[in-house]
Amino acid sequence: MKALAIDNLEKRYPTGVEALRGVSLEIEEGEFFGLLGPNGAGKSTLIHCTTGLAQPTGGSIEIFGHDAIEHYAEARQAVGLAPQEPNVDWFLTVEETLDYHAGYFGMPKRERRERAKELLETFSLTEKRDERTRTLSGGMKRRLILARAVMHRPRLLILDEPTAGVDVELRLELWHYVQKINQEGTTILLTTHYLEEAEQLCDRIAFIADGQIVAEGTSEALAARFDVPNLEDAYLALVGRKELSRSHIELEVDEVEA
Amino acid sequence: MSAAQIRFATLWRRECNRFLKIKKQTIGAPMLETFLYITVFGAALGSRIKHLHGIDYVLFVIPGLIMMAFSTNAFSNNSSSILQQKFQGAIQDQLSSPASPAELLLAFSLGGFMRGLTVAVLTFVVSVILVGLPVEHVLVLVPSLALVGFFFSQLGVLIGVRAEQFDDVAFAQTFVLQPLIFLGGVFYSAALLPQPFETLTRFDPIFYMINLVRYGFVGFTEVSIALSLLALTAATTALFLFNLRLFSRGYRLRA
Repeated sequence: MKALAIDNLEKRYPTGVEALRGVSLEIEEGEFFGLLGPNGAGKSTLIHCTTGLAQPTGGSIEIFGHDAIEHYAEARQAVGLAPQEPNVDWFLTVEETLDYHAGYFGMPKRERRERAKELLETFSLTEKRDERTRTLSGGMKRRLILARAVMHRPRLLILDEPTAGVDVELRLELWHYVQKINQEGTTILLTTHYLEEAEQLCDRIAFIADGQIVAEGTSEALAARFDVPNLEDAYLALVGRKELSRSHIELEVDEVEA
Repeated sequence: MSAAQIRFATLWRRECNRFLKIKKQTIGAPMLETFLYITVFGAALGSRIKHLHGIDYVLFVIPGLIMMAFSTNAFSNNSSSILQQKFQGAIQDQLSSPASPAELLLAFSLGGFMRGLTVAVLTFVVSVILVGLPVEHVLVLVPSLALVGFFFSQLGVLIGVRAEQFDDVAFAQTFVLQPLIFLGGVFYSAALLPQPFETLTRFDPIFYMINLVRYGFVGFTEVSIALSLLALTAATTALFLFNLRLFSRGYRLRA
C-alpha cells in the first residue's frame, strides 16, 4: 500500500506565488523517504498541504488510501508532523503538550497517560514534565515536538528539518529513535539540508526545485543521474553550484600545494 | 467516550485551561473591574439617584454590568487565545488533527463562553449577597445570557482569526465594543437621553441585549422582549454560520 500518493499537486498562494507546480510523488508503506531542495523550493508547502495546514489549489493527496481533502479525518489520523519551527504552546507544560495532542487525535485518557510517560522517558523529558514549554531550551523543544509528533502512533511521520540547529548528540539520539520506529513499520518523510543524513537514512530521495520534483531515486541513482560521485554533488548540480563541490575544492587545494 | 468526543473535550479543555492558568488576569481583574463599577455607579452615584423607573439604581445597573462582564470576557478570551496561538504557531497542532471545522470553532468559542460565564456567575452571586439582586424572569434571563455569551464568543473568534497583530484585537475592543456597550445603556435608561441620542441608542444592538438581561433580573425593559430575543437568536446564528464558513475555508488559519 502507498503511505503517501501525491498526484499533480499545485499550490498557488493568494499573492500569486506558485509554490507547487504539479508535484507527483509516491511513498511506499515502511519506506524512509527524503525530500531535498533549496530554501523556497516547496518542501514545507508540500508538507503543509499533506497535513492540512495549507490548502492545495490543484491535484490530489492520498494518505494510506484516504483522500487528504475529502476524508481529511482518516488521513490526518495517520500522520504525525514535527514541523520546522518548534511551535509549542507556551501555556502548556511538557506533559500537557503530549496529553493534549493525543486528545486531539481521540486517544483515551489512560492510554494517553501511559504513552506520555513512555515518550517522556524516551526523549529524556521526564524531569521537565511539569515545566511550561516556554522555559525549555531549543534542544528540549526539538525533543518535545518529535515526541508530540509520534504521541498518537502515526503510520506516517513527517519530519520537516528536525535537526536544524541541534547539537551532535541530540541529532544522533533523534535519528536512532526515528530509525527504530521506521524498522518497526512507521513510514518516514524527511526534509533536511544535511545531505549525509539523507544519504545514510533514506531508502529513496526526491529533489524538489521551483515547486517541481526534478529527480527521484536512491542516492546512488541520483548521483549517477547527475554523473557525479555522491548525493551532495548531485544536489549541487541540481542547484547549479557545481563549483562548491568538495572534490572541486580539494582539487584546487592540491593544485595550490603542488 | 468516542474518539470524536475525546477530541472535542480536549480542544475545549485546552481553551479553559488557558484562562484558568492565568486566572488573576482573566477572572480576578474583570471581577475587580465590575465591583469598582458597582461601587462608583451603584453606591456613590446611587446615593444621589436612588431610583430609576422605580428600581433601586444599583439594581438597575448590575444586570448591565453582568452582561458587560460576560460579553467582554467572552470576546477578549477568544480573540487573544486564537491570535496568540497563531503567533506561536501552536494552533497547527489543532489544525493538523482530525478535528472538523465545526469542532474547532465550537471549542474556541466555548473557551471564552466559559470565562465570561464564570465572571458573570461570580458577579451575580456576590450581588445577591450584597444587594439582594432578584431574578424576576429566569426563563428570559438564562437564554438571553447564553445568547449574549455565545454571540460575543463568536465575535471574539472572528476578530482573533482576522487579526494579524495584537493591535487589531485592541482596536476592536477599545474603539468598537467598549463604546457600544457603554452607550447601550448599562448605566442609564435611554428614556432619559435627549434626542437624537435616545433614537441613536436604539441602533445599538447592545441596548437590546442589556434590556433582555435587565428584564430577566429586575423585570424592567424599554424594548420588546420577544422581538429582541428573536433578533439576538438570528444574529448569533448568522455569526456562527459565518464563522463556520471561514473555518471551513481555512480563512487566515490554513495557508
